[in-house]
Amino acid sequence: MGSTKRAFDTFIPPLLTLLLVGVVWEAAVRVLAVPAFLVPRPTAVLAAGWNERVLLASAVTTTAAGALSGFALSLIFGTVAGLFLSLSRTLERALYPYALFLQTVPIVAVAPLLVLWFGPGLRAVSVSAFIVSVFPIIANTLAGLRGVDARLTDLFRLYGANTADSLLKLGLPSAVPSMATGWRVASGLAVIGALVGEFVAGFSEGSAGLGITVLAAYRQLRTDLLFATVILASLLGLSLFAAVSLFSNRLLRRLRARV
Amino acid sequence: MIHRSASLVAGCRWLSLLALPLAFGCHKKTEPAPGGPGATPAAGAAAPITLALNWLPEPEFGGFYAAREDGAYKRAGLDVHVQGGGAGVPVVQMVATGRADFGTVTADELVLARARGGDVVAVFATFQTAPHGIMVHSSRGLTRIEQAFDSGTLALETGLPYIAYLRQKFHWSGAKIVAYDGGIAHFLTDPMFGQQCYITSEPILARQKGSDPQVFLIADAGFNPYTTVVITRGELVKQNPDRVRAFVAATAAGWRDYLDDPGPTNKMLGTLNHAMDAPTLVAAAKAQLPLIETAETKRLGLGAMTRARWQTLVEQLVSLKLIDHAIDVDTAFVSPEAR
Repeated sequence: MGSTKRAFDTFIPPLLTLLLVGVVWEAAVRVLAVPAFLVPRPTAVLAAGWNERVLLASAVTTTAAGALSGFALSLIFGTVAGLFLSLSRTLERALYPYALFLQTVPIVAVAPLLVLWFGPGLRAVSVSAFIVSVFPIIANTLAGLRGVDARLTDLFRLYGANTADSLLKLGLPSAVPSMATGWRVASGLAVIGALVGEFVAGFSEGSAGLGITVLAAYRQLRTDLLFATVILASLLGLSLFAAVSLFSNRLLRRLRARV
Repeated sequence: MIHRSASLVAGCRWLSLLALPLAFGCHKKTEPAPGGPGATPAAGAAAPITLALNWLPEPEFGGFYAAREDGAYKRAGLDVHVQGGGAGVPVVQMVATGRADFGTVTADELVLARARGGDVVAVFATFQTAPHGIMVHSSRGLTRIEQAFDSGTLALETGLPYIAYLRQKFHWSGAKIVAYDGGIAHFLTDPMFGQQCYITSEPILARQKGSDPQVFLIADAGFNPYTTVVITRGELVKQNPDRVRAFVAATAAGWRDYLDDPGPTNKMLGTLNHAMDAPTLVAAAKAQLPLIETAETKRLGLGAMTRARWQTLVEQLVSLKLIDHAIDVDTAFVSPEAR
């Protein structure tokens, strides 16, 4: 069947690459007798991940909570901000540089301030995730709304459509492809933002997130656990990205079907 | 002032370093005979030595800088480059891979590294009493360290061995444990806030800002690893013991100079580290004095280490489950010769 072959073609090459890299890595570490605390063997990383599965499962949940809430904040605020900026060129010129500032602010330096303002825990971590992921949503929403076909805009104006109608029936539907790009980019960034936020704002005991676990593993020279945690963090980002992509594709398909 | 392993980018910096063993194959590096074909360290003929510090230039490293400034290293025929560190510098890895010839770490880091396959050896223990502590507001009227875990908020770095020790020894209840961000901003604003600290750093700064810090030393609670321990790679000790001995002797001389008169070195430290002003440097140098020079060092010399102390540390780390089994203590350190 077509879809089975497609799945085969999509997943097998990267999986084979992973396997090959894993084998070469394992062999290299064994042959060169690299100490465990410098470079762990892939088998050691997997073992560490399995042995600490309870700790890691809880850590993933904590970080995911921070990342998802930050991402949700970005979606709401970013979309509204993008809409707002699209209403007037003057508004855009006045406020866009400050939106850009959110992109460039070094979150590592800002995170301690967030703890001071929001207190340690989920709130500061969410805000950290929000700061890191909001700009792509603003930028892509704005770009999408600006990129509406001019002839259609004229048509709407000809028929006397008000701003709300133009936005809801023309602007937003046309902007979805661009917005979806923003959502995808933001999803990965939200996880990074949550992790960095946790370095300073996370709870150390009980509900420690992946960020804290990375630091603790590093402190104890447990590089196998460090690698396992980092890989899990990447997988978390990947999962969120995949979920957002899936949703975007479905949405686009339904929108196109309506035309 | 941010202090003590606010390892914000620790993982990343370390990860970039791991490319090194892969790039160089991490085979047992045979060091070219240092000092040239002459073997004896003649002034000027010696190969440069790097000493990597695990924090910013501060009084806790005063002796090393003094040895450089006063010429102790030069007189021993050594060209020593003192490399100041900062948050998250992976000193153990740097020394193990030969990136740095010597480095400063805490004794428990050395044990962990050896347990995980690294061949690094301790040669000089600056702090005989560990300067780590728990800092709370004296307005709370606490009298024992375990009370700090009963209420309020406590900022701690979970991965540290001494934190694990405190968790194992005392029943933690009530206090909210949060991440340690290296500063004292939160401590200054909240009277129920406590945090881990370094006795030469946060309490001094807090007092300067008008706060009322009270410190409980971890050493008093029973966990007392040697701190600011100079380490080097095992192969250097085997292949060139004279060089290591010369370095250690010069270091001890530098520390003697600094303990007797920290003034000139503090002045130099002030130019390297703008976060510490002159009064802070003076206060820090004074606070660390009883931790560096003890009855034992008067007997055995500065930087001395005993087998018993190392054995205790190893046993504690095993009971904390930070290492699977005890390592051989005798190969882990070389005590400086008594002077």
